[in-house]
Amino acid sequence: MNWVVQTLNGISMGALLFLLASGFTITFGLARVVNLAHGAFYLLGGYMGLTILWVTKSFWLALLAGGLSIVVLNYFCERYLIRRTQGNELGQVLLTVGIVYVIADIALVIWGGNPLRIAQPEIARGSIDLPFGIVYPRYRFLLILFGIIIGAGQWLLYRKTQLGAIVRAGVDNRETVGAMGINIDRLLAMVFAFAAFLAGMSGVAGGAFLTVYPGAEWDILVLALVVVIVGGLGSLEGAMVGSLIVGLVDAYGRWLLPEFSYFVVFGPMAVLLLFRPTGLFGREV
Amino acid sequence: MNSLKMRKLAFFLVLTIFALIAPQILDTFWVTLIMQILVFGLLALAVDLLIGHVGIFPLGHAAFFAVAAYTTAILEARHAQPTIIAAFAGVASALILALVFGLAVRTKGVYFILVTMAMGHIVWGVATRWSSFTGGDNGVGNIPLPKIGSLAVSGYRDYYYVVLIVVVIFTLAYRVIVRSPFGTTLRGIRESESRMRSLGYHVAAHKYAAFLLSGGFAGVAGVLYIYLNRFVSPPTAAFHLSAEVSLMTIVGGSGTILGPFLGSIVILIIRNYVSAHIMQWATVMGVVFILTVLYAPRGLMGLIGRRPSPGIPPPPTGVPKKQ
Repeated sequence: MNWVVQTLNGISMGALLFLLASGFTITFGLARVVNLAHGAFYLLGGYMGLTILWVTKSFWLALLAGGLSIVVLNYFCERYLIRRTQGNELGQVLLTVGIVYVIADIALVIWGGNPLRIAQPEIARGSIDLPFGIVYPRYRFLLILFGIIIGAGQWLLYRKTQLGAIVRAGVDNRETVGAMGINIDRLLAMVFAFAAFLAGMSGVAGGAFLTVYPGAEWDILVLALVVVIVGGLGSLEGAMVGSLIVGLVDAYGRWLLPEFSYFVVFGPMAVLLLFRPTGLFGREV
Repeated sequence: MNSLKMRKLAFFLVLTIFALIAPQILDTFWVTLIMQILVFGLLALAVDLLIGHVGIFPLGHAAFFAVAAYTTAILEARHAQPTIIAAFAGVASALILALVFGLAVRTKGVYFILVTMAMGHIVWGVATRWSSFTGGDNGVGNIPLPKIGSLAVSGYRDYYYVVLIVVVIFTLAYRVIVRSPFGTTLRGIRESESRMRSLGYHVAAHKYAAFLLSGGFAGVAGVLYIYLNRFVSPPTAAFHLSAEVSLMTIVGGSGTILGPFLGSIVILIIRNYVSAHIMQWATVMGVVFILTVLYAPRGLMGLIGRRPSPGIPPPPTGVPKKQ
């Protein structure tokens, strides 16, 4: 029955990765922004949530605070720093790496170097009994459900609403959407805020079972990058499929080949890129 | 001879004399720092072959550097192989890795950046997790000083000259490469891939060859590093190093020969000097990243008005690319 447990572990990790990667990929699709600070957003969101949790004892407020604090932070980063590197890929990457250095260093001063666990909410503690006598942590199970809800919501928003249609049109051709009289800057600001909220929130959600620790910003960022590389930059469906693949491969890898767990995640990615240089759902950029 | 040439000659003369007498007049700290500047400068130069000439941005070159360092270290420390074999094996391993990672040139733009970053992370992951072979976080230590036949390096002052000679030889080789028709072709690809393709150049093969060369140079730097540091552990393969090396080339001035070395001076002084005085050196480094991108995208060489390789427009770094 170990297979089932490991599969569930993989899916729950995939759900967490999806929260982070979907924002990253849509931001890239619409604004052509490569924001590596997403890893640091995850970290800082986790720490902010943790602090709110200490003060208010409420996990749900923590989740909200983790998300909102990153929305504010991302607004300033985007407006005063990232926007000035438009169209310069390496500049953007190095600038956002700089932001990661600063955020991670400040977080180290404030919250210290030890891993901190975010207490899980009351209803998510303990374990649940699945069929065939499998016992599984309730929190991870709920995280899977949460990931599915967020994914489905995002997909409906993206595919079935007018707002989603505008965003998709923006991904294809920003200038034309602007020429149609749609305020593309406001649209961008909304998408950035949404992505940042997801990133901050994922930090709290992840911190509750992976702990928050210095270095988490790179660990999670690299996995999220593999998700968007495999799925294809700018594609929501790609982020969904990619998260699931990476989550599962990561879980099986850690279990079966602990010494090569990184290789197990990156190997298939490299092979995939040989045949589809733009990922599963990606298009030429 | 005009005055510009004279000044250039005088500059290199002073530089040469300084480089030759440095170990005699400076203390251990500074001599070691100069060696690090040379080694990381060579690594930055390797990266700049791709950034400054091909116009693609790798973010995983710590991998080649680290694989060469690990290979040499393991052969020296565990298998007591002679320096010449260990050193060649180190460079060869970096080249083999570049053969595989070079497939990344199939991807474009942001994809290339992210793919090389992820590939670099594999090496870090293996160095960390495969502890039975790489020593995990404890790394590989006790590397003896290099010795070829009866010629033995007896201390860091001796080794300084080894580093100096090797770096100078490879920098001159690099200069020959970038000024050759091959280098011109690379810059042609940087300016317009489709034009070069329609002119009949095999673009992918040129990019792949440049990637191999770049990986090989990074491997040479890795071998020099291991005899200098005499210890290697996972941070040598970490993304931080790859990012900082890219930053070196930008700070110094991409597409030039001296630029990467200048950048190496700036970044290593921050790393060594600032970290000795300020706890929050990572914040300082982060701010340097941000300020460089925003205010000095052409680097120090750009600030003093030097154009990269004569007759060629400056590299795209820092300038919005036409979509």
